[in-house]
Amino acid sequence: MSPTSTIAAIVPAAGASVRMGRPKLLLEFGGRPLIARVVEALVAAGARPVVVVAPPAEAPEGPAVARAAFEAGADVLVPDSRPATMRDSVELAVAELGWADEPPDAVVLTPADSPRLDVSVVERLIAAWRESPGRIVAPTFEGRRGHPIVLPWQLAEAVADLPPDVGVNALIAEHAWKVFEVPIESDAVLVDLDTPQDLERLQGSSAATRTVRLFAIARQLAGGPEVVVALDDPATVADLRRALVEQHPTLGSIADRVRIAVDDEYAEDDAVLPPGATLALIPPVSGGGV
Amino acid sequence: MVEITESPLDHAAITERVRHVNAGAVCTFLGTVREMTGDRRTVALEYEAYPEMAAKKLAELEAEARRRWPLIEVALAHRVGRLELGDVSVVVAVSCPHRGDSFEACRWLIDTLKDVVPIWKRENWADGREEWVHPGLE
Repeated sequence: MSPTSTIAAIVPAAGASVRMGRPKLLLEFGGRPLIARVVEALVAAGARPVVVVAPPAEAPEGPAVARAAFEAGADVLVPDSRPATMRDSVELAVAELGWADEPPDAVVLTPADSPRLDVSVVERLIAAWRESPGRIVAPTFEGRRGHPIVLPWQLAEAVADLPPDVGVNALIAEHAWKVFEVPIESDAVLVDLDTPQDLERLQGSSAATRTVRLFAIARQLAGGPEVVVALDDPATVADLRRALVEQHPTLGSIADRVRIAVDDEYAEDDAVLPPGATLALIPPVSGGGV
Repeated sequence: MVEITESPLDHAAITERVRHVNAGAVCTFLGTVREMTGDRRTVALEYEAYPEMAAKKLAELEAEARRRWPLIEVALAHRVGRLELGDVSVVVAVSCPHRGDSFEACRWLIDTLKDVVPIWKRENWADGREEWVHPGLE
């Protein structure tokens, strides 16, 4: 496969958040709606286009989800009525991509409720697919298979041929021998967001998520202006360094060699991170020759 | 006075701003975009700031310098974004009653600024390569 092979992403985002009881894709993480974070991570990992299937326009949350996705860089599909299943949303997106002059060579199938989707993980999955473009690539954590999944285009097209009551997982099961698993060091690939309990777990005290701002080489390595890490509370600057190395391998080469700022002040490794503090990686500044 | 801006720095105006009738000395330092680093040729530089923290650190530097020297006026201005060869990237201007203090304060301010203020530069080399400059991280 040539290096010019194109990877699109499909994000089914039309669900009604029934179990959450409120529009989960508009919940904010690090100050950004979840759907925007997911789109931005896929764009940063090189997926073009990122197709988001939004709720219909008359759904209360529909316009806000569509706008957040669009502003984050997605191509947004707004169906006339709410797709009954995730598979229906995927089918709509595949049909849309199929209309293009040149359909993609693969799609990254990404649940919209991936609160800890990581650019570097998506990049690794895409890289694994490029090594052997016939295969399906799935991430695992401690043996359990997670998301997102890279599907070769031919298989994505086959979603339309599935019987009406059969989901995408059945298609993957049918092609189980093509599945290539990529072990990931973080349970982020397993984390989704369906219930208020999920949200509490994600935002709660046992494993708070922290947003870390990135600049210069750190931003370049991670492919975006911030990363989210899961971190027990209370945690110190040293704990944050370890979490960065484990959860964001692309930052591993620098995470223990840069200064860390807490609330816009340089912090020592034994400093405790206050709740809600602004965190940032500060690579050595340009200083240079005197 | 501290400032982080994407606009060109008017060093004459900044110097004028620190002039004062009680000052017997005004010292201005300019950092400018250099073309040659050893035998490597620079085409342009891009500066990126962590704006909130950089503004805070600049203000702290001004306060610390005022503690150490009898400064009358202080101006610290840093430009961010893309800069062409010869452009002014940073201006430090101080006024004092006597010249010795003005040289010392100006020197301390620029040296410390380059060490603690989170503003980074990316080299655009003539060979097409681009790289962030992070002393000690190479």
